[in-house]
Amino acid sequence: MMREGTVTPVGTHDYIRVEGLRVSYDRENTAIEDLDMVVGKGEFVAVLGPSGCGKSTLLHVMAGLLRPEAGRVDIGGRPVGGPADGEAPRIGYVFQDHRLLPWRTVGQNLRTVLRSAGVPAEQIEERIDRYLGMLHIERFRNTWPMRLSGGQRQRVSIARALAIHPAVVLMDEPFSTLDEVTARLMRQQLAQLWEESSQTIVFVTHSIREALFLADRIYILTRGPARVFDVVTVMLDRPRGYEDLRLTELEGQIVDRVMEVWGYGAVDAAPDREG
Amino acid sequence: MEVRTARVPLLGPDRLRRVQAFVVAALLALAMWQLATFISDGWVPSLAEIGTAFAEDVTTPLTYQEIWITFRRILIAFAGATTVGIALGAAMGLSRRVTAFFRPIVVLGLAVPDPVYIIVAILVLGTEESSGLIAMILALIPFVVNIVVGGVRSRDRGLDEMSAVYRLGRRRYLTDVVARQVAPALLAATRTCFAFSWKLVVLVEALTQPRGIGAQIYFAFRLLRPDHMISLALIFILVLRAVEALVFTPLERRVLAWMR
Repeated sequence: MMREGTVTPVGTHDYIRVEGLRVSYDRENTAIEDLDMVVGKGEFVAVLGPSGCGKSTLLHVMAGLLRPEAGRVDIGGRPVGGPADGEAPRIGYVFQDHRLLPWRTVGQNLRTVLRSAGVPAEQIEERIDRYLGMLHIERFRNTWPMRLSGGQRQRVSIARALAIHPAVVLMDEPFSTLDEVTARLMRQQLAQLWEESSQTIVFVTHSIREALFLADRIYILTRGPARVFDVVTVMLDRPRGYEDLRLTELEGQIVDRVMEVWGYGAVDAAPDREG
Repeated sequence: MEVRTARVPLLGPDRLRRVQAFVVAALLALAMWQLATFISDGWVPSLAEIGTAFAEDVTTPLTYQEIWITFRRILIAFAGATTVGIALGAAMGLSRRVTAFFRPIVVLGLAVPDPVYIIVAILVLGTEESSGLIAMILALIPFVVNIVVGGVRSRDRGLDEMSAVYRLGRRRYLTDVVARQVAPALLAATRTCFAFSWKLVVLVEALTQPRGIGAQIYFAFRLLRPDHMISLALIFILVLRAVEALVFTPLERRVLAWMR
């Protein structure tokens, strides 16, 4: 593990650039305060923070769903939130809940986003087959989403995000609602998929072990309003084992460091920081 | 070797219970009607008299012309009210500004009694067929708007975000995301609209028109023939039930197939 005091991107290391981001709700509750972040092309970056610290808000801004009060987000050199023309960066988003259209079959759900992404008609069926196959759910192509298990629905959601060949895939705690065994299996498959596709992924989680298992680098945020507390580079070879003792050791180190900023000390210290 | 064959009952226990309940309720209603005939000194027609009038009416070709005239008017009012009501309801559900403008008008529209629409339309436009149709459409629109606005407002905002991220586009968002979520409310709105159309058209025809089932019911009333009033109403109720069974039920089954 290597810690970075400051972030100094070079080359393809600044594919996603977040600068001076500030987001407030109702101009009173600040969710994100002066946040900087860079993600390299093909990099798997995890954003780690306690529940309610502003991680999901950060992804919303990166997806163009929320306008920041200050600062900017660029993906591939183009600003997010600009005109949604053909040149605008395309985003794949895996939400915490699957957000599939329940009145469309699995295949139709993918077809809907592929058409909207401007994929040529003759390529659509092949893409659906390929990505459902990659996620091992090809047999559910003609099934209604509500007849699938939670894990299967989340697989469809991941297939949908990858199938449009996005500039970046944003994942918002996609496995948090699944049972532990299914979640582990999904993490393993996601790690494999990422190695095969080299897709740029920003993965939000509150699980330190999940972040260490999946990511190249981890942005650790403070308790809200979210600021970057630390950036950790995970120097472990892949494929990684979820029960690897080195992960346990790294997890312990991170817990020790974040205890002060995530724990009760952070709540007590909050008025001083704001003042 | 002994071969046993299982006898499958034609009706399951639930269905059998429902049929039994229906038969008991129907027999009870018929008995009460007959009782009303005895105690009303003949003003309430007996079941036998209604049966005779019914047989007479269904074998008269003119009845079918009257049915068609009324049915056509219902279709026009229904189409006009649902088209305007769904469009306005969807716009109000999606935009606060549109809601702020139309909400007071819709609330007022819901409070106005139906005969007032008809009387005002007659006073302004005369007793033409079109004035009755306009009155019906104006009376029905607020009901449709009210149901559709509720459906659009209670949509899943998570799917709105998904649509924005994947850039589904305005048309695909409205047809694939909003309309499908609002489908149960739309079906309820069209059914309500269709049922109210029938009630209103009878009133409009009785007040302003020489033709149509409503006019014939009023004609039977003036001739003191309550058996024919009831038989004509029964015939048209059967027509509307047929529309329900042939159009609305299959449509609902198709649109809401994913829920089963």
